[in-house]
Amino acid sequence: MEHLCSLGANNKKMAMLRESQIMKIHYITGVAAIFVVAVHIMMRIAIMPYGMSLEYENVIANYQNIPYIVLLESILVLVSIHGFNGLRVILLELRQSKKWEDGVTVLTIAAMIALIAYGTRTIIIANGLGFE
Amino acid sequence: MVSGGLYTICACGEKILEMEKEVADRNNREGMMGWLNPRRYGWERVSYWLQRLTGVGLLAYFIAHIYETSQIAGGPALWEAFLELTQTTLGHIILIVVIGMCVYHSANGIRLIFVHGGKGLGKPGRPDYPYDAVSLNYRQKSGIWIALILALVAMLYGASVLFGGE
Repeated sequence: MEHLCSLGANNKKMAMLRESQIMKIHYITGVAAIFVVAVHIMMRIAIMPYGMSLEYENVIANYQNIPYIVLLESILVLVSIHGFNGLRVILLELRQSKKWEDGVTVLTIAAMIALIAYGTRTIIIANGLGFE
Repeated sequence: MVSGGLYTICACGEKILEMEKEVADRNNREGMMGWLNPRRYGWERVSYWLQRLTGVGLLAYFIAHIYETSQIAGGPALWEAFLELTQTTLGHIILIVVIGMCVYHSANGIRLIFVHGGKGLGKPGRPDYPYDAVSLNYRQKSGIWIALILALVAMLYGASVLFGGE
């Protein structure tokens, strides 16, 4: 745990995790996302024709299925973490300064949390719609 | 180096005219254009920026997709209206491009995980003329081509599903 939460420590750098640990998380979320997104796409085309799977009743039925909700939430979290960390890495490659790095990190984490919250809200509301 | 008016005194004690130093210190930063320039570096450079461009494109699609699916919360009328907006020829073409980006990013990303783990880079050797990097070998080039071919195949399959009339 000593390497965690080094905020304001020796190097005065805003870092909760080492960059090598962040890259491990980036790779793990990337590989995991491949599997869950593959299942999500297969659900769109394997069970019924693509057009039919997008009909309102069928989409709501998906949100009533607990394992599928877990899958959707997994996609939401994994892709958000992977995507916004990827964006952070690209932005840090373009320019380097403490202010820029801290700003990019804070903004990408805030955007990631906002997107996960918004997507979770949809899942909760759509899950409730079927019981009306 | 220590700067001294018109002259700069080198560590070895030699004086270099300041004018010469200015020539040596020319601005070599290319900024975004240098990042996007696919020339000079070969397929590895193309792979480098394709990975980043597809990543940014997929993130943009993901955000749009989260917004698109949130329309379900507005009821059947809003959902059907939004589907009419996205289930068009242009919408399908965008989806086919997204499929290609997704497959390329995944396949090339797996190659990069192996590269960062030191797998498939070959043994280090003495740099001889023409100084080709040992790490940029046929395995890496094959990986890039496999990612591109898989993306093309997935796009064709996606097109057959989306425009197949089902």
